[in-house]
Amino acid sequence: MASRYIVNRGALTLGIHYRTACRTTTFTQIREMKRWMKSYNYIMAKKQKIEGTPPPKPRSQQPNWEYHAEVQAFSSRLHENFSLELLKAAFVNPCYVESEQKRREELTTDFKTTALVLNANMELRSQGSDFLASFLTDWCRASFPSLHGDGVAAVVAHLSGSTVVCHVARNLGVEDLTMSAEYPVPDDVLNATFMAVIGALLESSGAERAAFFLRDFVTTQLIGKDLFDMWTVVNPMGLLMEELAQRNMSAPEPRLIRSAGASTVVPLYFVGLYSDKKLLAQGPGDTVIAAEEEAARVALRQLYGFTENRRPSDFSPMEQQHQPVQSAASS
Amino acid sequence: MTSRGTPSRFLQSVLHNGVGRYVPQLKRLSVLFCRHGPSSAGVRAFIEEGVVDYAKTNPGTVVYVSPQPGTIPTIVAEYLNGSVREETVTSRTSKEISDLITKLSSQSGLDVIRLRKPFHTDSPSIQGYWQPFTNRPACPGPIRPPALEA
Repeated sequence: MASRYIVNRGALTLGIHYRTACRTTTFTQIREMKRWMKSYNYIMAKKQKIEGTPPPKPRSQQPNWEYHAEVQAFSSRLHENFSLELLKAAFVNPCYVESEQKRREELTTDFKTTALVLNANMELRSQGSDFLASFLTDWCRASFPSLHGDGVAAVVAHLSGSTVVCHVARNLGVEDLTMSAEYPVPDDVLNATFMAVIGALLESSGAERAAFFLRDFVTTQLIGKDLFDMWTVVNPMGLLMEELAQRNMSAPEPRLIRSAGASTVVPLYFVGLYSDKKLLAQGPGDTVIAAEEEAARVALRQLYGFTENRRPSDFSPMEQQHQPVQSAASS
Repeated sequence: MTSRGTPSRFLQSVLHNGVGRYVPQLKRLSVLFCRHGPSSAGVRAFIEEGVVDYAKTNPGTVVYVSPQPGTIPTIVAEYLNGSVREETVTSRTSKEISDLITKLSSQSGLDVIRLRKPFHTDSPSIQGYWQPFTNRPACPGPIRPPALEA
């Protein structure tokens, strides 16, 4: 006992601490410069240089993850009443089922006990994408009644395109819940999963709720977008002449209305388009031809009601949209 | 460092949040603490008093409570846009932790850095950009100096 005390005291003065972890082992902690640290860090850096950075791990394989709670939270976060079985089914992709089946077959030879009871989301997917296309077309027709058919198709193609849909899906937390063979989740798989989620909502809450969901999350992506960023029109003047002919107006007459700095490196021309001696639109450009094209685009935007200063679309909540009808009926 | 040298961004929101419906942006909250450590006392008190109420009032946030022996008490907040914020809550009281969690759940997950302006618009000019003909009456021909014009 006494000798142990002496050893302990001596160790304390030297700065060595013994700590009993269990009956047989003791940890030795010494206060000093950790001189082994340099070589350790060096080796780890070298190892990383040879092997490369480790691949990203999906959130579901990291600590603190409970799939059921996550799916439930996903549903209530979006203020929707998803049927949870349908929502869970929507997240299962065929590539995941395939890879999981292969993995299980490699692990054992007994196929009966390891058989995977999962159905891929193919049906929900097709339902969702059909509904998305039809809803967006209707919404565009209603919001921009005078927009050309090709323009509607272009806007719908932009909104249901992979870029916009994946951006929405990533920012709604679909990526964490998606069951995919690869990680990070490829864009096409994420796109299909989002379609399946729309399909699940359509099945569980009906078309009206699903339409409000799409209006709130997909069509809001149109805010701040220019029409001709989405719709490539090669010959705007030709299109404008077509549109004016349809509305029984005379063909547009381009006139140079203003110009400045023609001999400098920054020339500026303003071209005005007149129809029936009325100014339709004017547009700037650094050559007369560019200015004429720009003026035609400005005129088209005005005709289609897609100007920057247009009245914002109605994004009021579902309950508020129903209320005015009731109050008008009661009063 | 001058303010120009610090990182900055414009005022923005994730997915135009709030235009259609408001989506709470905090998707996951992990509370890591130690069962015995004195520095985790406040976290333990918060878990007894407030964590269930918090989880009930915020159904869109998944709350994980995980005791880990000898760990520094930490609150990890994960947001919908993929950003993760870790806050160390060593020796904080239950009230302070509750305030911190309220703050974390009201944030959007975008970087907390200097905002260039307290407002933002996609179309910065109402009247249009300045050009040499702004506020000039329409006149044919090129612009001349005022003396020649008269």
